[in-house]
Amino acid sequence: MAALIATLLAALATGGCDSRHRAATPLSGFSTPFVFGRFQVPADNPLTKESVELGRRLFYDPRLSATGAVSCSTCHIQRLAFTDGRVTSVGVAGKPMAFNSMSLANLMWGPQHFFWNGRAATLEEQALIPIQHPDEMAQDLGRLVAALSTDASYREMFETAYGEVSAAAIARALASFERTLVSSNSRYDQFLRGEITLNPQEELGRKLFMAHPDVKVSLRGANCIDCHSQFLTGGFSARYDGFSNNGLDDEEHLQPGLQAVTGNPAHRGLFKVPSLRNISLTAPYMHDGRFKTLEEVLDHYDSGIRNSSTLSSLIVEADNRGAAAAGRISLNLTATEKAAIMAFLRTLTDQDFVSAEQFSDPFARK
Amino acid sequence: MHRAKYVIPVLFALAALLGITGWWIYRAAQPIELALYFHPFVGPEPLVLNESRYPNPGGEGRFKVRDFQFFLSNIRLTGRTGVYTEPDSYHLVRFDGAEPAFGIVLHDVPRRDYQRIEFGIGVDAAANKSLAQRGDLDPNGRMAWTWEVGYKFVLFEGTLVRGDASVPLVYHVGFDENYKLVSTELRDEPVERRSARLDFRVDILRLFQGSATVDMAALPDVKFDRTDAALLARNFAAMITSMRADAP
Repeated sequence: MAALIATLLAALATGGCDSRHRAATPLSGFSTPFVFGRFQVPADNPLTKESVELGRRLFYDPRLSATGAVSCSTCHIQRLAFTDGRVTSVGVAGKPMAFNSMSLANLMWGPQHFFWNGRAATLEEQALIPIQHPDEMAQDLGRLVAALSTDASYREMFETAYGEVSAAAIARALASFERTLVSSNSRYDQFLRGEITLNPQEELGRKLFMAHPDVKVSLRGANCIDCHSQFLTGGFSARYDGFSNNGLDDEEHLQPGLQAVTGNPAHRGLFKVPSLRNISLTAPYMHDGRFKTLEEVLDHYDSGIRNSSTLSSLIVEADNRGAAAAGRISLNLTATEKAAIMAFLRTLTDQDFVSAEQFSDPFARK
Repeated sequence: MHRAKYVIPVLFALAALLGITGWWIYRAAQPIELALYFHPFVGPEPLVLNESRYPNPGGEGRFKVRDFQFFLSNIRLTGRTGVYTEPDSYHLVRFDGAEPAFGIVLHDVPRRDYQRIEFGIGVDAAANKSLAQRGDLDPNGRMAWTWEVGYKFVLFEGTLVRGDASVPLVYHVGFDENYKLVSTELRDEPVERRSARLDFRVDILRLFQGSATVDMAALPDVKFDRTDAALLARNFAAMITSMRADAP
């Protein structure tokens, strides 16, 4: 009897791991700031050391494109907080596309709808879209899986992480790597942790950032907080609260934006509110890269807003002179206040994030 | 041996009695599921978003509602035999037009003879000061002002249209003193069944019409002014009513 039990136990012990892949190891030492709040990782794609490593490799591998010349990192460059410095991105087709490359940081928080119009519901879903887009990477997934399967080191990495080389495993690995792209050591983070104080100009900028103006109580504000959350500085995560029409275009030129995804006319011209983490590194700005500098962005919000039917009442009403009903939409900030907001925005730069080795090109060090 | 003929019926009767008692005890110990549905109205009409169809309660023009959200907190059921308190009870009730009503489902509610349901509109002072994410509370969410100020309790954003003029309407009401308790009797409500549902009317117009009537042109925005916020809070304290109670 004891022998039988021993045999059964032995069978169980090996049985758990006798499938084609060795068990991947949970990612250790991964922590995120309390003030960022909860996050969710899909149950079928837990963060493991192996999946993150594989994802990093894939992220930097130009074999993901049909021409072998474009990788994810072509448009998402680490030193630019994973943007590309261009007005709009250029892929294998060599022609500028419609949208500005979005920074990849703190992706587990904020709207869990990806792309500027929110058309992908998960990072896994998002990952495969640029790979196959004819202008971006123009790759065939079957061909990509076949190509990666001929590489012994990839085969081993895939087997350990996911059991096999497949399109789903590519998506999961890329998503896992992207989930680890956490930027949380800017001066603002250090301030939030109580390690440093901001200088008076930065502190004035922070206060203005965090306030919707209210003339009645003499509160001056730049109403950034109405769309950019206080700690993450990104869009809100609940439903489509993290999408906004920020007054770039008038009624006639309003693009579909979120409406293309939801079909709701009230969502016309709404785009995803991006995180402002590392914002001084991610020029040019807006979904179409129309503003070259942060000063231009600030001028837009201060006095360049164009009215349309889906423009938020919060933008129309925000005026530091209390003349909202009187016509032109303007925050009416002073030059000193604008400079202070700029100073605060610069505290969001995280040098550790843009130089961290674990986010860098694994092919670069040979 | 003639008594043997009674044994079987007596055993049957005993088994049946045990069965019925057991089932009764089992049933009494089974928790229930209670669903609360909140139906948005503007006065007598169900809410229609983004249409300037509602008369300005205190003046000229018509208004439209673009967004309406509020926190509903600390749901409690009280009865003669006990009290049920929902854990982490912070719900962001919102009307986005996708569903006709906003539902909150309370799971594992002990089966009791409840007589009242209580909840708060807004966020209690302790949670309002905290950065903890309990229920729908989210310091990085749309309802958060800043950690120095706390949460918006009720958010109304819209537009007042007067002739050619459009006036943006922004009513963000928060502050600890404006947390309002609502208490409703559960008379004739079927809360003893396995699952039960209660329906509430949320009348958005009550924000502007109640202990004080608001002319939206004169008061198009309320944010940080404590007097204005308190005025709207006195009004919204009465915006939620049981639909059964107010049925004709």
